[in-house]
Amino acid sequence: MSGAARGGGKGGRPARPSSEAFWWALFSAGGVMAALFVPAFILTTGFLLPSSDAMAAAGGAGKVAAAVGWWPVRVAIFGIVALSLFHCAHRIRHTLMDLGLRRAGGVLKVLCYGGAAAGCVWLGAVLARV
Amino acid sequence: MSGQYHRSHSRAWFLERPGYIRFMIRELTSFFVAAYLVVLILTLGRAAAGEAALAEWLQALSGTGWMVAHGVALVMAVWHAVTWFKAVPQAMPIFIGEKKLDAPVAAVLMGYGPWLTVTAGVVWWAVR
Amino acid sequence: MSDSKTITLELFRYHPETDSEPRFQSYEVPYDEDWVVLDAINWIKDYVDGSVTHRWSCRMGVCGSCGMMVNGEPKLTCAAFLKSYYPFPVRVEPLVNFPVERDLVVDMDGFMEKLRDVKPYIIRDDVNDTSQGEYRQSPAELAQYKQYSMCINCMLCYSACPVVGHEEEFLGPAALALGHRYNKDSRDRGKSERMEVMLSNEAMWGCTFVGECSVVCPKHVDPAGAIQQAKAMGAQEYFKRFVMPRGAGTKGAGASRGAGA
Ligand code: SF4
Ligand code: FES
Repeated sequence: MSGAARGGGKGGRPARPSSEAFWWALFSAGGVMAALFVPAFILTTGFLLPSSDAMAAAGGAGKVAAAVGWWPVRVAIFGIVALSLFHCAHRIRHTLMDLGLRRAGGVLKVLCYGGAAAGCVWLGAVLARV
Repeated sequence: MSGQYHRSHSRAWFLERPGYIRFMIRELTSFFVAAYLVVLILTLGRAAAGEAALAEWLQALSGTGWMVAHGVALVMAVWHAVTWFKAVPQAMPIFIGEKKLDAPVAAVLMGYGPWLTVTAGVVWWAVR
Repeated sequence: MSDSKTITLELFRYHPETDSEPRFQSYEVPYDEDWVVLDAINWIKDYVDGSVTHRWSCRMGVCGSCGMMVNGEPKLTCAAFLKSYYPFPVRVEPLVNFPVERDLVVDMDGFMEKLRDVKPYIIRDDVNDTSQGEYRQSPAELAQYKQYSMCINCMLCYSACPVVGHEEEFLGPAALALGHRYNKDSRDRGKSERMEVMLSNEAMWGCTFVGECSVVCPKHVDPAGAIQQAKAMGAQEYFKRFVMPRGAGTKGAGASRGAGA
């Protein structure tokens, strides 16, 4: 079995690996982030902060806003939310493909990842102002 | 080949096996997580708009409708975490010499342990 | 044996030269606790209807040729005992997601091509040169891929996978697990060659980790786990190609060798 006979020696133009690897990497990192952080976030912004007792304990909305304003927190929130958005986008896209929209794959790609990217821009703009 | 018989898949293939239904529920979590993330960005936007705006928004979030919505989102997000931690030992096996770390141990080490730590940290940070 | 117990088998029948559509045919088979579904089909073929066509060989779960749908579940029929179905009828069909050749026999050419695509053999340039000693492998290195080498190519996982049914490009559970098996083999140097195939559009990325392949696998290969690992490996490979020129000195060179003597 020589090197050339193996079919690996096609030489020349390297086959371009599909961008799926890239999207999957975002999906995977985002899945970890969503699993670790999102339940805690929902607990916090959905239940603890809106309930008045906790709000009093937190010293009012101003203190919350100030705490989020600390830049490492902002960077962390951006990373977590942005990756989670791409996680969701990838999963929704593939589920829709599995459900029979395989031929609309290209459109779904633009809609899902485009939506996640738009969310990131929006998030970035909001966090810059906090 | 003309002589072969081809069976086509039903459109409702995802109902054919309990495992497929479980798969669909797991995938559906991403829809609820995404919806929550949008609400989270809205909340951050109110925080950026100032103390009064945030207080007013949080007051609105304490309504029953929002509580139910957040309850559903929480269940889905927890389910995402549980299914993710179940997959972690499969996708990232840890070998100690020639022995693979048992899946439950790996799930606690790489999933539930960090999860509890992070959740406690975030909640403490928010109500401190 | 009119007074002894029987069980009904409903066999999927399709003879391309006479049938345009498949049909089900029922057979009464003597019920024996120790019998598996394959025994019942063999009994039908031997004593009732010689035209029934099916594949089998080892009758002990190692050849992988007797896979069929038993009451909708992909099973090795030599390992599916009648007693787990009795007294209800047992419906036997050819594996889904494959074209049906005749009765319970499916066409596995597509599967064989997919297996070939992942280059399921050790690739290295210095393979003929054993003068320096043998290629040693530690138990820890063996453990990295051993589970994925247990596959018997029964194709049950292909029948359990919805993506196989919907996406032709998808290589499928067994082939991807086998590709991963060789990528994880410490003696192998062919990862980048294999990745060439695995990284292309839907070949591997079509997998959405439904996970039913691992549920039905009779050999506990866990193809679903193997594919997720292969994806992580593929993503690494993808990012590496941005940094380094392709295939820079991986094959052959620097291969670890046993010292011999
Ligand atoms: S991975 Fe398991 S189910 Fe799939 S062909 Fe191999 S032995 Fe059969
Ligand atoms: S006859 Fe060989 S695996 Fe069943």
